Amino acid sequence: MLKIMIIGAGEVGFNVANRLAHENKNVVIIDKNPEAIRRISDSLDVQAIVGAGNSPVILEEAGIRGTEILLAVTDSDDVNLVACLAADLISPTTKKLARIRNVDFDNFHDALREKAPHIDTIINPEIEVVKTIGLLMTVPGAVDVGELVDGRVKFVGIQLDKGAKLAGARLTSISSVAGKGNLLIAAIIRKDTLIIPTGKDTLEPNDLVYFICEDSKLPEILEVFDKREEPFRRVLIVGGGRIGLRLAKMMEDQSIYTKIIEKDPSRCIQLADSLNKTVVLNGDGSDQELLREENIKDMDLVITLTNDEETNVLSSLLAKQMGIRKTITKISKFGYLPLLSAIGIEQVVSPRLSAVNSILRHIRRGKVLATKSIMGEQAEIMEAIALETSDIVGKPLMKIAFPSGAIVIGISRGEGNFIIPSGDSVIEPGDRIIILADRKAIPKIEKILTVKLEFF
Amino acid sequence: MRWRYIFNVVSVLTFYFGMSMIFPVIVSLIYRDQSLLPLIESMLATLAFGLTLHLINRRFRTEIISQREGMAIVAISWIMVSLFGALPFFLDGILNTFTDAFFESVSGFTTTGASVLTNIEVVSQSLLFWRSFIQWLGGMGIIVLSLAILPFLGVGGMQLYKAEVPTPVPDKLKPRIRDTATLLWKVYALMSLLQVAFLMFGGMSLFDALCHTFTTMPTGGFSTKNASIAHYHSLYLEIVIIVFMVLAGINFSLHYQVLRGRPLAFWRDSECRFFLISTLLFTVLVSLNIYRSPYERIGDAFRYGSFQVVSIVTTTGFATADYEKWPVFSQFVLLILMFLGASAGSTGGGVKSLRVMLFLKYCGRELFYLVHPRAVAHVKIGGKVVPEDVIRSVMGFLGLYAGIFVLSSLLLSALGVDLVTSMGATAATLGNVGPGLGLVGPVDNFANIPYLGKWLLSWCMLLGRLEIYTLIIFFAPAFWRK
Repeated sequence: MLKIMIIGAGEVGFNVANRLAHENKNVVIIDKNPEAIRRISDSLDVQAIVGAGNSPVILEEAGIRGTEILLAVTDSDDVNLVACLAADLISPTTKKLARIRNVDFDNFHDALREKAPHIDTIINPEIEVVKTIGLLMTVPGAVDVGELVDGRVKFVGIQLDKGAKLAGARLTSISSVAGKGNLLIAAIIRKDTLIIPTGKDTLEPNDLVYFICEDSKLPEILEVFDKREEPFRRVLIVGGGRIGLRLAKMMEDQSIYTKIIEKDPSRCIQLADSLNKTVVLNGDGSDQELLREENIKDMDLVITLTNDEETNVLSSLLAKQMGIRKTITKISKFGYLPLLSAIGIEQVVSPRLSAVNSILRHIRRGKVLATKSIMGEQAEIMEAIALETSDIVGKPLMKIAFPSGAIVIGISRGEGNFIIPSGDSVIEPGDRIIILADRKAIPKIEKILTVKLEFF
Repeated sequence: MRWRYIFNVVSVLTFYFGMSMIFPVIVSLIYRDQSLLPLIESMLATLAFGLTLHLINRRFRTEIISQREGMAIVAISWIMVSLFGALPFFLDGILNTFTDAFFESVSGFTTTGASVLTNIEVVSQSLLFWRSFIQWLGGMGIIVLSLAILPFLGVGGMQLYKAEVPTPVPDKLKPRIRDTATLLWKVYALMSLLQVAFLMFGGMSLFDALCHTFTTMPTGGFSTKNASIAHYHSLYLEIVIIVFMVLAGINFSLHYQVLRGRPLAFWRDSECRFFLISTLLFTVLVSLNIYRSPYERIGDAFRYGSFQVVSIVTTTGFATADYEKWPVFSQFVLLILMFLGASAGSTGGGVKSLRVMLFLKYCGRELFYLVHPRAVAHVKIGGKVVPEDVIRSVMGFLGLYAGIFVLSSLLLSALGVDLVTSMGATAATLGNVGPGLGLVGPVDNFANIPYLGKWLLSWCMLLGRLEIYTLIIFFAPAFWRK
């Protein structure tokens, strides 16, 4: 049984532990704060230890020797680095992941991986978030976007509008509208429940529809869903923290006109120093006067990225009220996610969720290249390489005993050959396959993806 | 509170408990005794009840159980198995009122070992087996067993585990609760196997060895003989049983460590050290006190002194001598030991050494504060600081324990039971010891306790086994408020 040790019982540590405990993995979690540990041991079936995760003594007591994977995800980069170092002293074979958020380390991620023997992977959720925001901007109307197969395939979640022509359509009839083999509806979220649809299901207004398609065919498919939007030219960022700064730089690279609002005057000075074209404004993102003064109505997009959840939500709502057609809101507390669509905030990014996603990719057994959570914790999209020895290779899909709650939604073979699978598609060794699995099916999927030999 | 979810879990537990009645049925078939029919009837009744309750609530499944619901599941399950465990005694007719049958059953599951049977040797082999077997099941805990063998409890298992094994500082041997439960049962089963072998080596029949092991390892105390262990007149058997009673009174996570090759774990653990030293100290005190009167030889004084002290402090309740004929000092020491009990995380009952240690250290700190009003001091056990909320919970426990003892003794005396018997019976049932003082001493039984008193004492046994909080919470108004 895979044993995983997590240092830091914050939001990321808690959620990774929660996910893994549900998949029946052995999880040990260490945190300095007894309150955080109590919260964990009250609600999760994991071993929770109070102590400093960067102390070799504590690590040894917690059993680092038998641990396959160490996740250092405390709020402090320094603690994370030292924890990996200390773990390496005792147990060099343990795979180590560290969360490092400091921008100054950006250029040294590869060096850390290659030269420092104690860290196998660096996770920077802020880079992931900026990437996600970039993706959300490239796919108008999307609530959720993920890239698969090195960006050649997109995985998109879209809200079906009331008047859309697909509303009420049967899934079997959709392929004739969209062209055969171009589009696969992978999942529908209707009133907070996840449906893995069959041909007989119909789409209803207000459904959140997840589909998968090749990047090049995306514009036509968005047409099918009645999503036509102009590209974004003017963007307002609320909150000039680390993510705000990263994002503003990205916008400058893409020549998008950007304004950034930050409350803290000294931070504004720093921002103005490192940004060239962006307009840096000192003020509160929920200050209507300021927003009006800066002609918020002419903005295409408002992105709220302050460290305060409530401010983000309120600023986004305010912006919508003032006529902005699209907002992207940063949320850290997963508990809020179900509430947000109810109040009209659909585009959400979460550094924590990004971190959880990129961590899970490294924990999944078999050759898993990417994972993406949908609906918080309910289900997961996995991209994996089909190993020659795996059970799924060489047979038509309908003959494979696939666990219920999981489907293959895409097969990518070599360069530029993407197949939307049907019952008689055959997976060949070396294919990249994309699987959608609900939480309960994940352990079984992992088994299928791993090499057969392990089970004899 | 989602009662239907709770009843669904309870129904599955009841069903599997019914399955376990197959063992006494097998014993009955082997010995061809007269209890076969009552046992099969009880088994079918239990299975039918479990199945019906499950079918009514089958749609109510949940992964997450709140702490309250966990306590409710554990408490209701214990009451349920005690009720159904009483059926064989009642249907067989060996105990002709349900009150008596229930008392015997509760006494079994809670590993108390207090009996209402006046003549044990006339009971059929299969019922004797059942009596011992339910102690073995109750010793490590029916919930812990279910967690180990029934996969359905899954994630919510932690809440159930905490409600059934409420040690002051819970320790998980493995990251997952299911693995922890399996491990505990493995250690338990392994030690039981060893004891059976040792007992049979000393000339016990397989049946007696099994029954006595089933009541030693959980520190239960039911015997298949009227005279308990004294029946065998064997020093060897007494020593084997003393050793295994002591082992059963030690935290099982320490056994696991010893089995993993750390033989000094017993001594390194401060609670275990406290338990072993205090047991030794009280053995010496009692033995010296009973030397010359009633025992002429110092060897005999130690033989009977040590057995009785170990039997009471581990809350087992076997007897090789009638301690009521001993000097009052020794009897008083034994009464204190009924409260002291074994270690936390063991199968023994009582207040537990860890809580007593904490209490003493806490008192010490209060005195220290009086001398040094501005001092900063922590209560430490084994070099580790004990969090204040643990201390608070331990103080609450001690207060409740004392309060329930006083109240129950008072109620018993109101039913016309004499003072010594009232206090002795309450201490012996609340601590899950078995034999008390007065009319319920080691050579007597609980048959003469009035009808209502038996229900009261059954309640005390359950309170003691589930360490009070899990059951008493039902009486807290806050528990029922929405």
